Amino acid sequence: MTAPFILDELMVVEASRHISDGDVVLVGTGLPMVAALMALKSHAPNMCYVVETGPIAPEVIPTPVSVSDPRVMYRAARVGSLLESLGGVLQRGLVDVGFIGGAQVDQFANVNSTLIGDSARPKVRFPGSGGANDVASHAKKVLIITRHERRRFPTHCDYVTSPGYVDGPHGRKRAALPTPYPDVVVVTDMTVMSIDKQAGRLRVDKLMPGVSLEHLLENTGFEPMQPPSIETTETPSPAELRVLREEVDPGNVYVKRA
Amino acid sequence: MARKFESKVTTASEAVSRLIHDGATVGIGGQTIGRCSMALVHEMVRQGKKDLRLVGCSMSMTMDLLVGAGLVRSTECGTGNLERYGGTFRWRRAVEEGRIEVVDHSHLAMALRFLAGSLGLPFMPSKSMLGTDILRQEGRDGVPPFALVSNPWDREDRVVLLPACTPDVSIVHAQRADEMGNVVIDGFTTHEPEMVRASKAVVVSCEELVSPDDIKGCPDRTTIPYLYVDAVVVQPWGAYPTAAHRYYEHDDAHILSYQRAARAGGSQYEEYLDRYVRGCSTFDEFLEEAAGPARLEELRKAMEAVI
Repeated sequence: MTAPFILDELMVVEASRHISDGDVVLVGTGLPMVAALMALKSHAPNMCYVVETGPIAPEVIPTPVSVSDPRVMYRAARVGSLLESLGGVLQRGLVDVGFIGGAQVDQFANVNSTLIGDSARPKVRFPGSGGANDVASHAKKVLIITRHERRRFPTHCDYVTSPGYVDGPHGRKRAALPTPYPDVVVVTDMTVMSIDKQAGRLRVDKLMPGVSLEHLLENTGFEPMQPPSIETTETPSPAELRVLREEVDPGNVYVKRA
Repeated sequence: MARKFESKVTTASEAVSRLIHDGATVGIGGQTIGRCSMALVHEMVRQGKKDLRLVGCSMSMTMDLLVGAGLVRSTECGTGNLERYGGTFRWRRAVEEGRIEVVDHSHLAMALRFLAGSLGLPFMPSKSMLGTDILRQEGRDGVPPFALVSNPWDREDRVVLLPACTPDVSIVHAQRADEMGNVVIDGFTTHEPEMVRASKAVVVSCEELVSPDDIKGCPDRTTIPYLYVDAVVVQPWGAYPTAAHRYYEHDDAHILSYQRAARAGGSQYEEYLDRYVRGCSTFDEFLEEAAGPARLEELRKAMEAVI
């Protein structure tokens, strides 16, 4: 049975499926947070939610608007510091899944959240790394959520804020990034791509329902690897949609349902 | 520096005048919509401090106000961001127009720089920022902001060295302090425990002044002991329109009105500064102008509902 849904909902539900029960998950705000809460309130009740400002394992009241929102401190096991979350948990190697977003994602899954144009005099300045670089450097699995537009998927980022596979299969090793090298998954409203570790490049794993490969390629600035058969993402179940709409983002703070 | 058991309670005006000098490197506490040092920043704007070098992790309205008022020469941080409420528009425009110098970091990198300073060490290693353009920045005055060195115990491995960050003065808003400057922070502490311990001087504003006996009754709850602190400013609602955990919620309406002015810039932004900052002689006047008792009570109740 298929219930009506919008693409943002599909993107959030699909991203949440990449979290397993018991995972330690480091999340900021925005759609990544909605996806993590979706997992927590559905198939991953034992997930340990970690927030960069310091909260560890909060129960999270929907829907926080910031990493400093009291709702991400609610009934936590501990509320500590940024050094503890990003150093003691993340760099220490305890984070199974880390979420990041960004303005650009390139063919190697490098992410730009800093600027467009020249570093000395940027055409557009974005917020900067925040904890995103730390997540991309240290999490065992990096989940990148972004809306799909051609300009957001260039061959090379204008500026690499957070490392994917840098410049190919040996990029992380040459850069001396920590081992083991992470899985990187990109979830958009058109596709799910992941890093092919042998090639060090993004590969199309799934297409969202109704999206053709041609349409995806037209809207992607680089040519992702394409296996012979590409699955279609499973549509959200009525139960998943109910959790999302009633428990995770009841006020439509992040998922706009018009 | 000898620290006597004496009262450090003073006014925002006196503390800012005495401890924050033109050209100073200023550590900024708080994060996005939580516990930002708004009262102290308003006072800095009123006093027209110049050529400031701001350091911190995730900087929001405090940095944006100081940049927007034209007081800032450079920033070193991890982000300028108000998350759900958008970017830090005055900062962003100043960077795009080349009016301020910026050295970008990851959040962990800034926390580790403060940690180095807090331990009296020259630098701290990290495995963040490898393989990125953050590491390729030239830095200021020919001084590279980072160094890449071999791990002495594993020659195959390399680490990034981050220089200690030791602010001339840091500003932090906390929930409670006693008159000596023992400080208790409720909720997240972000980069503040390390930043404060790395700073040459510290100004703390607080919601409530508590007695030294309250502190000594549960000393494990003291986030920052008195020996780092130089001034205590008692300013209820001192983080408004950002939140103070367990005391009051952030005021999204006022944050949005600030963001509209900051995005527009020009005369609209000057009007905001004139009406809410320069036009108020104290932070209490600002609270009256921006919120009033009924709105503040709503924010207090809104916090009660989520703790």
